[in-house]
Amino acid sequence: MIEIKNLSRHFGALKAVDEISFSVGSGTITGFLGPNGAGKTTTMRMMVGYLQPSAGSILLDGISIFADPIATSTKIGYLPEQNPLYDEMITEEILRYIADLRKMPTALFTERLAYVVENCGLQDVLTQRVGTLSKGYRQRVGLAMAILHDPEILILDEPTSGLDPNQILEIRELIRKLGTKKTVLLSSHIMQEVQALCDRVLIINKGKIIVDDEIGKLSSYFKDYQLLHLELEAENVDFSEFLEYHPELEVISQTQEGESFKMQIRIPAELDIKYDLARFIAENGWLIVSLYAQQKSLEEIFHNLTKGGETAPEPALEALPEEAEEDEGGLKL
Amino acid sequence: MNAIWTIAKKEYQLAFRSVTSYIVFMLFLVISGAAFATTVFKIDLAELRGIYGFIHLLFVFFIPAITMGSIAKERSSGTIELLSTLPIRLSQVVWGKILSAFLQVLTLLAFCLVYLGIIMVLGENIDYGATIMGFTGLVFVALAYISIGVFASSLPSNQVLAFVLALVISGFFYGIRYILVLMPLSVVRYLQFFSFEYHLSNFSKGVLDIRDLLFFVAVALIFAFLAEFNLQSKNMMQER
Repeated sequence: MIEIKNLSRHFGALKAVDEISFSVGSGTITGFLGPNGAGKTTTMRMMVGYLQPSAGSILLDGISIFADPIATSTKIGYLPEQNPLYDEMITEEILRYIADLRKMPTALFTERLAYVVENCGLQDVLTQRVGTLSKGYRQRVGLAMAILHDPEILILDEPTSGLDPNQILEIRELIRKLGTKKTVLLSSHIMQEVQALCDRVLIINKGKIIVDDEIGKLSSYFKDYQLLHLELEAENVDFSEFLEYHPELEVISQTQEGESFKMQIRIPAELDIKYDLARFIAENGWLIVSLYAQQKSLEEIFHNLTKGGETAPEPALEALPEEAEEDEGGLKL
Repeated sequence: MNAIWTIAKKEYQLAFRSVTSYIVFMLFLVISGAAFATTVFKIDLAELRGIYGFIHLLFVFFIPAITMGSIAKERSSGTIELLSTLPIRLSQVVWGKILSAFLQVLTLLAFCLVYLGIIMVLGENIDYGATIMGFTGLVFVALAYISIGVFASSLPSNQVLAFVLALVISGFFYGIRYILVLMPLSVVRYLQFFSFEYHLSNFSKGVLDIRDLLFFVAVALIFAFLAEFNLQSKNMMQER
C-alpha cells in the first residue's frame, strides 16, 4: 500500500507535480495516464526515491519511504522509462550484478533467475551482450531486473514500449499475474493496455491528478452522449428538416462527394434516434451504406480530459475529437 | 563493504573489455618504459627517482582518463537511476568507483615492477629503501589523484569535461611547486604542504613519514566525500 499526500516537485519555476494525493492498494494494478510532460515520470521517480519531493510525503505501509531508504528499496521494483542498462555487460551478468547489490544469496538468485528467465522470455539472450539486444529484449531485461528480488511494489514506467504484439501480450500476462499479489503501478501511453490490465486509472495532466477512479466508472465523468456515424449513397442529401424536428442533435461533420454522403451526429445517450433517422432516410429514398453508434473509449476520455483544461472532470463536450475514428476493440464504458 | 566490492569488481571487469583501457595502458607503459630505458641504459644510472617523478607526471594525465567515465557515464546513460533504487548507499557507489580505478592503477604499476626488477638485479650500489619507498609513494599519490578524478567525474555528465576538470585539479596539486618558486618564503612554508611532489619527495628519499601518508589519504577522503556530497546535492538518492 502506497499513500501519496500533497506531493509536489518543482524544477525551477516549472511545477512538474503539483500537490497530488492518491493511494495504491496491494493486489491491484493501477494505470497512470497522462500526456507527455504531465508529471508521470517525475511522480514515479519520487516514489522510488530517485528524486526528492519539494513538498509532501510518500508513505509505504504508513512509513515514509525516506525514513529508511535502504529498507524501502528492497520492497520496490522499478523499471525506469529509458530503461538504462550497462551495454558492455552480458544479460546474465547484469542480473547477477543487481542480485549481488541486493545481497541475494546464491541459492535464491538461482531460483529467481530461472523464474525471470522463463517469465520474461530471456532464454535466447542470456549469454548475449546487452548492448546488442533489440529494444524489446532490453525492455524485458529491465523488467527482469525489476522483479528479480520479488518486490511487494512494482513501479513500471511504460513497461511495454518497444515490444512486438506477441511480447506485449506475454508481458501483460506477466504483469496481470504479478498484480494479483503485488501492488503494481504502471504508466502508459497505450490506452488499450490500461483498459486491458488495470483495475484503477489515474489521469494526470499538468502536474495535477484529474481522474482517480475505478476503470469502469470513468464514463460518469461525462455527460453521456453517443456519436452516430452515417454514410449514405445519394445525391443532394439534406437533413435540415430532420434536424429542425430534433433540435437536441448536433452535426459534427458533413461531407458530400458525388453520390457519397457522410455525416457525424452527436446525440444524447438516452435518445434512441436510429428508427426515426432510418425512416426519414427511407422516405427520401436514400440508400444507407452504414449507420453505427460509437462507444466512448478510454482514449477519448483521456483526450477530452487532458486537452481541455487543468482540473476539469467536467463534461468536455466541446473538446470532442473531430476525427473520432475509434477502434472497435475499445472497452465499452 | 560488500556493495563497494561488487561495484569495484564489475567496473574493473568492464574496464578490461573496452579498447580505451588498453590504449591508455599501452601509452602509459610505452612512455614510462622509454623514459626508464633512457635513464637506466643510456645515462647508465641505477636509480629510479627520475622515473618515479616522471610516472607522477604521467598520473596527472592518465588517471583522469581512467576515472573520467566513472560517475559521468552512469549519469549520461541514466544507469545512476538504476543504482539509486538499489539498497546501496551513495558513498558505496563513490568508493566502489575509487576502488576499481585504484585496482586498475595497481595493475598498471604491477607492470612497472619490471623496472624495479631490472634495477635490483642488474644495478650496483642500489638504495633499496629509496627504490621501494618511492614505489609505495606512487601508490598513495595515485589514490589521491583517483579520488580527485572521481570527484571531477561526479560534476558534469560529460566525460570529456570530467577529464578536463580532473586534469585541472590534479594539475594544481602537481604544478604548485613551480609557483612556489615565485612566492615569498613565509608563504612557501604553508603552501608547499599542498604540493604532492613535496610529500612524494620524502618517499623517494626512502623516508616513510606518517604525515605524508596521512596527507594523501586525507586528500583521497576529502574528494571522495565531496563527490558524495555533490551527488547528494543533485538530489540523487537524497538521504542515503
